[in-house]
Amino acid sequence: MSAPAIRVDQLKKSYGSQQVLQNVSLNIPAGQTFALLGRNGAGKTTMIRILLGLIPADSGNVQLGGIDPAIDPLTVRSHVGYLAEDQAMYGWMTPIELCRFLAPFYPTWDMNWARDYLDRFGIPPHGRIGRLSKGQSVKLGLVVALSHHPPIVILDDPAMGLDPIARKEFNRDLVEHLQTSGCTVLYSSHLLDEVEAVADAVAILDHGRIVRTGTTDLLRDEVKQILLSCDSIAGTPPPEGLLDVCRHEDRLAFIIDRSENYVGQLIAKGIDHDVVDLSLDEIFEAFVIGRTQDWPGKPANSAAMSP
Amino acid sequence: MFVRIERGVSTPISRQIAEQVRAQCLAGLIQPGDCLPSVRQLARELVVNVNTIVRVYERLAAEGLVEMRHGEGTFVLPPSTTTNLAADLKHQREQYSREYQAIVRRGLLLGLAVPELRRMLTATASDAKTQISKENSSEKRS
Repeated sequence: MSAPAIRVDQLKKSYGSQQVLQNVSLNIPAGQTFALLGRNGAGKTTMIRILLGLIPADSGNVQLGGIDPAIDPLTVRSHVGYLAEDQAMYGWMTPIELCRFLAPFYPTWDMNWARDYLDRFGIPPHGRIGRLSKGQSVKLGLVVALSHHPPIVILDDPAMGLDPIARKEFNRDLVEHLQTSGCTVLYSSHLLDEVEAVADAVAILDHGRIVRTGTTDLLRDEVKQILLSCDSIAGTPPPEGLLDVCRHEDRLAFIIDRSENYVGQLIAKGIDHDVVDLSLDEIFEAFVIGRTQDWPGKPANSAAMSP
Repeated sequence: MFVRIERGVSTPISRQIAEQVRAQCLAGLIQPGDCLPSVRQLARELVVNVNTIVRVYERLAAEGLVEMRHGEGTFVLPPSTTTNLAADLKHQREQYSREYQAIVRRGLLLGLAVPELRRMLTATASDAKTQISKENSSEKRS
């Protein structure tokens, strides 16, 4: 595999006493579509802004295509297409004027491509930007991010503000134009169903830490829910990778990462259990709001099987 | 070829696509020699990651169901080669195992205890065995 297109190493950032990113490390191979998942305030936007050299990190190292944005932000920005979360554009310009205005900043700007995109996204090229709908502004931001054929594209919550049909169109463009042209895409999102279909791999960011990375298939293979009776495992210590525990009277339903090992132990001990496949949604939830304090401690009755 | 993806369910997308393509091949809706849509075309149509489609086609090719001809496309192979049958059997069994899991799960949700489920399994299995052996012997006689 080629060198990573985006490399993040031990990144730290605080705002005052609040640690926003804590030792975040990430490698995104060239050509991969990578989704950054996290709740509001998890640190996604901060990380993206550091990647573009818009704000400095407290410590750690970042490279995009081998270039450090903290040292050479302009080169990085010429290689990267960026859609900000709250893209502010000159309301008095028209979309076509904006494209003409931006073109000289990018040696590789493609005016035909820009016009083509405006047309396909149904953005009136000669109307005032200030009068565009929310969805149209997002799409215009995308046009601007993509029109210089960047090898790396970073999109901060591109789906936000798009209606379901526009989102599907956007995802289709992402698949058709960016993935097939070998572009590396990093985007943040809350829409896990869509992420699952489109992304190669995901990272779950929670309270400034990356709690899990992996391809979507791998996550589904490794994170499982297990159902069994409380008595059968009572008194055993909580297994490694335990994410969430839910008790329903004498039944226990828990979600566990890298479950294969634990399931193997259950089978070896002859403990009755069910393994349930989870959706990406449920996996995400387990990582960010999972609670493990309900793991049964003492055996509920003396007849319980010893571990 | 018609593929419909259900989102937000626990079946991975790659498996959903593979199962539907496989089912259509086995049912003869896609004939041997037919060309499947290109990776890019199907990715676009389904709004699914290009690499996912590549993986699905590669898996189906490994099963001997289709053949990926470089630069030409992916073509459905004629059925009933031994590899095909073995792979088919394997997948039928996997599918069965998933259905079985669902049945057991439903039983638990309905409040049936595991010993009860086990009793049901034993009874059903012995009934089914007698039935199958009867069918077999009557086939032999005729």
